[in-house]
Amino acid sequence: MATRAALPLLDATAHAARWIADYCAREHAGDVLCAQAHDPAWTAMFEELVAVAGDDLAHARERVQRHAEDIGTGFRVAGDSEERPWPVSPVPLLIGAPEWAGIAAGVRQRADLLETILADLYGEARLVARGLIPAALVAGSPYFLRPMAGLLPPGGFHLRFLAVDLGRGPTGEWRVLGDQLRAPAGAGYALENRLAVSRAMGGLQSRLNVERHAPFFAAFRDGLAAACRRVEPRIGLLTPGRYDPSYAEQAHLARYLGLLLVEGADLAVREDRLYVRTIGGLKRVDALWRRTDPRMLDPLAFDTHSRIGVPGLVDAMAAHEVVVANAPGVGVLESRAFGAFLPQLATRLLGEDLKLPNIATWWCGGPKEAAHVLDELDSLLIAPAFGSPPLGLPDGRPTLGAELTSEQRGALAADMARRPQDYVGQEIVRLSTMPAVDVQEGGGRALVARPFTLRVFAARDPDGGWRVLPGGFARIGEQADARASVMGEGNWSADVIVHGPSPVAPVSLLPPSDSIHVRRNPGTLPSRVADNFFWLGRYLERGEALLAAIRVMLGNSIEADAGAALAPATVGRLVGLVTGAGAGPHPASLKRADLVQLARTAMEAEDPQWSSVRAINALARGIGQGSRDRLSADMVRLLDAPVPSRGGLLDRAGSLQRRYAALSGLSAEHMGRTAAWRFHDLGRRVERAIAIARQVRAFGMAQASADDLSTLLELANSQISYRQRYLTGIARVPVVDLVALDPNNPRSLAFQIAAVCEHLRALPVLGDDGMDEPQQAQAAKLVAAISTATAGALDEEALDTVERRLFRLSELVAWRYFLHGADPLRATGLTLA
Amino acid sequence: MIYDIRHITRFDYGSAVRFARCNLRLKPIFWSGQRLEEYRLSISPSGRTAPARAEAGLANVVRLVIEEPVRHLVIESASRMVVDRLVPVPSPADPSLAQIAAAARASRDPSPAGPAAYLFPSPLIPLDRAIADWCAPDLDPDRPCLEAAIALARRIQREFEFDGSATFVDTPPHEAFAKRRGVCQDFAQIMITGLRAAGLPAAYASGYIRTLPPPGQPRLVGADATHAWVLLWCGEVLGWIGVDPTNGIWMASDHIVMAIGRDYAEIAPIDGIVLGAGAQKMDVSVDVAPLAGALA
Repeated sequence: MATRAALPLLDATAHAARWIADYCAREHAGDVLCAQAHDPAWTAMFEELVAVAGDDLAHARERVQRHAEDIGTGFRVAGDSEERPWPVSPVPLLIGAPEWAGIAAGVRQRADLLETILADLYGEARLVARGLIPAALVAGSPYFLRPMAGLLPPGGFHLRFLAVDLGRGPTGEWRVLGDQLRAPAGAGYALENRLAVSRAMGGLQSRLNVERHAPFFAAFRDGLAAACRRVEPRIGLLTPGRYDPSYAEQAHLARYLGLLLVEGADLAVREDRLYVRTIGGLKRVDALWRRTDPRMLDPLAFDTHSRIGVPGLVDAMAAHEVVVANAPGVGVLESRAFGAFLPQLATRLLGEDLKLPNIATWWCGGPKEAAHVLDELDSLLIAPAFGSPPLGLPDGRPTLGAELTSEQRGALAADMARRPQDYVGQEIVRLSTMPAVDVQEGGGRALVARPFTLRVFAARDPDGGWRVLPGGFARIGEQADARASVMGEGNWSADVIVHGPSPVAPVSLLPPSDSIHVRRNPGTLPSRVADNFFWLGRYLERGEALLAAIRVMLGNSIEADAGAALAPATVGRLVGLVTGAGAGPHPASLKRADLVQLARTAMEAEDPQWSSVRAINALARGIGQGSRDRLSADMVRLLDAPVPSRGGLLDRAGSLQRRYAALSGLSAEHMGRTAAWRFHDLGRRVERAIAIARQVRAFGMAQASADDLSTLLELANSQISYRQRYLTGIARVPVVDLVALDPNNPRSLAFQIAAVCEHLRALPVLGDDGMDEPQQAQAAKLVAAISTATAGALDEEALDTVERRLFRLSELVAWRYFLHGADPLRATGLTLA
Repeated sequence: MIYDIRHITRFDYGSAVRFARCNLRLKPIFWSGQRLEEYRLSISPSGRTAPARAEAGLANVVRLVIEEPVRHLVIESASRMVVDRLVPVPSPADPSLAQIAAAARASRDPSPAGPAAYLFPSPLIPLDRAIADWCAPDLDPDRPCLEAAIALARRIQREFEFDGSATFVDTPPHEAFAKRRGVCQDFAQIMITGLRAAGLPAAYASGYIRTLPPPGQPRLVGADATHAWVLLWCGEVLGWIGVDPTNGIWMASDHIVMAIGRDYAEIAPIDGIVLGAGAQKMDVSVDVAPLAGALA
């Protein structure tokens, strides 16, 4: 830690200069830093890095990474996929404003060109008819969607958000490696990287005049809104769901952009209009930013096997009732083969050359090109022309021609003779490098040169023009090998900072305050989310109740010697409560060892046969993952935390119970009183009411012993209330009254049911006739039954009725507010002979 | 030849379905050598129908929307069709396979009737090396196209066994190929796989075929079903030529084309989404009757 102590004495300027000098001394021809080693921007950036980390680069790397993890926590999915696909490097890529202007102009030009081509392909198809491109170039792409032909996208554009992957050559020229059009990923990571770097190096912003990200996203959102017919449109981000690898990014972007995060099942098309199913009925949706595979978008138009699509969505587009960004079918231009035609198309359609040259490509569908590729095999990359892997390449993957064995060359030539259209030859691109922190030769962390690619994002603004995100997302290769084809997806990411000579005005995504109506009950609650929150509440409460029963059972058996033991009949009833909940098998005896065994199963069994606390936890966690855009980071952390594994069984139970208490506290004190909270609390109340009814039936009936009654008070968390109220000792009628009927005891059945009734009154109803909906009527019946009951007369039958009514109530709530998961049956009408 | 065709599809649902949206591709398309004289689509209980938007393949599509709960659904499609198609005669002067492959690659016709889309593998008919190798001996690049097409169709008919219980509607081509048995769809898919592997534009045709009654017996009403076969694009002059690998014959006046696509998914007579619980049972009957008097 000597270096840390010496930090104030460290001369940042000298230190940064030494890092740069050392780095560039190790031969780095074609490195971005070495080419601009005297640019004060790099020096300033490294000085900031010294200020963070001293001379310990490993420390800098950890710092930045920790910030990134912190920012992303609310969106990460626990478990295997917890890691970001591309951890962030502490050294950002710096690009000066003049150089950036060239890149941005090139990306805008390219976006315009792509839009022009798409408008033709899905419109008049003159490019093909005139022979500028062969029909096979279009039809060969699995992402060409013929059902979109003739459909002018509402709002007028096929493309609204795209990404272009660029490579920088050793001499500093940028060129396009590929286009991301279908569902470009990574903008969310660019946002996170920027946040992480600026949190770690606070001084960077003002020293470098860093161009900000927020105006770009604001322009994109406003552009979508401007394309809609309604003035205050409802815009959704359509996600494939929480099992999608980039779900976390989607949830982040939805929250950042203020979009409604929806899945296909949330949406419905009626009379060619798109709606989201909410607790208040169907609500119009005006635009979708889709992150689903376009072929899955509408099972009626594309793939009837799609289970995540919205039947009729394309009809709604055709009726100009919904804007979809990007329009389905844009992926046709992603194929490598198209790259061979873009330079000529730019000349023909725009009257100018591509400002950012394309990677040189030969499509073998043309006889001359095929001959050229076979002649130059050794100096080219041979790759699939379209999406599907051809038969003539090893594993169907892009391969360097020079690395093919003579046998493989034979196979390639043979298949190219049959299906030349499946292949392209591409120049082998050499990438320039940038500094990254990694293990250097001989050990220790140092700045090492690694190849990188740059993903640049562009979006349409309200005027339909293209805005380019200043910066973006750099991916850094793991190996020093600088050939683009070898680098693949890359292993690390880095923030990309565009810096300029003049200060940048602070902007945030917040619109001017007078342009927004004040709303106290935010947004629209999709039925799926309401369902999730209701069940999150039920599961958390169920876990808590089971844990309480386990603790009482365990506590009283383990402490037997201390004299706290319960009568065997009472222990038997506790066992019945635990096994009745399906949490474990009935024990062989009521001996301590058997009870401990039952407790262990009920708490921690992974066998799906038992609804153990662990299993209930997993259900709650799964629901939490699907609702991250609406849960606080603290709640997510508690839900994601693994089941405790340290200490004895009782310690583990205690620590879990404290976690449940914390979750309950967070939801009571931190969640806004929105409809989502109401559903969460409704779930809790219904579940707790069911638990109390069962407890009273087990421990509060006519023959109840003193042990039974004190156990009931303990399970119902009401010992203190009881002792304060009744000094005389324990008796059935006052105990049952306190636990079941007393409306002032917050742990009583009556209190839960009153709360349920209040929630159902506050939630939206469909009719305006003032009549109760069925779930409200059911709640009212329960309230009436409980308020007229007396403790002395409360028998098993009455409690059974209450429990049945609670189950019925839960069903009615689901029927009224949630999606009804009827399975789609596919109709297929062919028998074959 | 004039045919009266009745194609009846009946769905029985285990419990009432609340919502159905289907694509019906039952009305035979306009195609060379055949003319639709009369057509009637009846649906019971009646739902809303509307012409649907552009489709991936060549089909007359009608969208059916049902919003009332139904337990049964009967869709009846009745056509009167005049078919007059010559049996193709192979000639050494026909374009070679290499020539039609090159012409298809260079085609400027982006429409679903053009050859370009049919050069490539499609979701249900992927490239497959084993099938490609098996078909290759018939598909020498220098061979005249008609001769090659019928030779391959006949070899499939000879070497594969017709077996209605060997495969299902979603059995992939490589499975049927490995078993060397199946039904019309399997044989059509295998032949298309082989043709496309050789770089040739091959399409999947669905429709009807007249079942020729054995001598002295009456024609079996309702025993027929929808049929599938192969179209090969043979250059600008010859255009699309049909071959039926199930029967080892050319498509001629016994075949009625209903729809054409890259594979079954694009031209399924009925597909779509039905929301409901429980099982669904489907019965199909097809009756292709030559008009009395027209037989002679």
